[in-house]
Amino acid sequence: MNNLVILKLAIIFIIIISFFWLFVFGPFYNHLAVQLVVLVVVLVWNALRFSFKETISLLKFCLPFVSSLFIFGLVFQLMRLFGRTDWLQDSLIKCLVFPSSLIFLKILLAGITYLDILNLPISMKKRIGLITMKSAFQKGEKILGRFSWYLNTYSSLHGEGRIKSTLKKYACLIIALYLYLYEEIENSNRLLKNRYQHLYEVNE
Amino acid sequence: MEIGRGKYRLDGRNLNFDVVDALDFNGSGSCFYFRGDNGYGKTSFLEKIVIPAFEANGLPYLYIGQDIRTQLYTLRALLSVQGFKVSGTDELELLRLWIDQNQSAGVLMLDEFDKYFPDYGFIFEWSPALIRTYIIVTHQGHQSTSIAAENRRIYNVKFELLDIEGRFKNVRVRHE
Repeated sequence: MNNLVILKLAIIFIIIISFFWLFVFGPFYNHLAVQLVVLVVVLVWNALRFSFKETISLLKFCLPFVSSLFIFGLVFQLMRLFGRTDWLQDSLIKCLVFPSSLIFLKILLAGITYLDILNLPISMKKRIGLITMKSAFQKGEKILGRFSWYLNTYSSLHGEGRIKSTLKKYACLIIALYLYLYEEIENSNRLLKNRYQHLYEVNE
Repeated sequence: MEIGRGKYRLDGRNLNFDVVDALDFNGSGSCFYFRGDNGYGKTSFLEKIVIPAFEANGLPYLYIGQDIRTQLYTLRALLSVQGFKVSGTDELELLRLWIDQNQSAGVLMLDEFDKYFPDYGFIFEWSPALIRTYIIVTHQGHQSTSIAAENRRIYNVKFELLDIEGRFKNVRVRHE
């Protein structure tokens, strides 16, 4: 069982490293068409693996980062910053690479189950740490939509211009998510340690 | 702003509402209590019908949701982005600060706020003078909730399950 889990995790990490080597840091990074195809494939995969709605919300999450990348690229292109004329192409590639690598990573990591973590030949303390991280990030992903919904109801966020409001909203979203994850990780970790300690004592 | 009489369908929530009596939220000094058993769509009605109607009419409102613990993360983030020092503030201080910053809101909506704060009369004292209307989703009895909103016109809005048609619950919404 342990060996199978190690093999599974090794395959997952090899696929992740290969993806990053090929499309993020390697030979296909500069190919706009390839990056576009990769993004489409990853989006379809995510929609089939999870749901269409979840894929859309992930894209929405990436949108402010992607749009700011694009805007900076466009401005630098118009300014011909450092004499470079490839700013726009470079930003377009980054606009595709960022969401595709993020979603790809998410799909692959979702393949690691709690049972896999429990079967890893590592100390219980490390297992608890990994389980806590997985649980917190899963919860964080689910709660993102609700955070976004609440933020949309705050009129004080809509008073300014559209771009400023959107940027503020996303800043709030990130802070809220960070606060939530921080607290959630702490609570889950305490809970797991407590249960393990109790079971350990009972078995002793 | 008014939610007129008629049928309202929420496909995502499998709910059909039959609003028998129009809900007029324009009246000043009014307090609407949404009552009914769990699962009859009180929160969905508020979040999917009432709130979008306020937004469509450009009317500022405050909404404290049922999952207040989740909402507090967003309030903490919002207030810190707005430059307020929120570290070390407890839930009530945070809510008060938020309400104080929203003096333009004319409507305050509370969804099962009494679940966390059974004696929530303080919210009426905190609320800005401009709050005309309160909409409160509650499971408490009539008497206890009315005390908290004394000096206001009370409207009890009942959510009743009529029948279930396939996946859909048919719910009647009427004044009591």
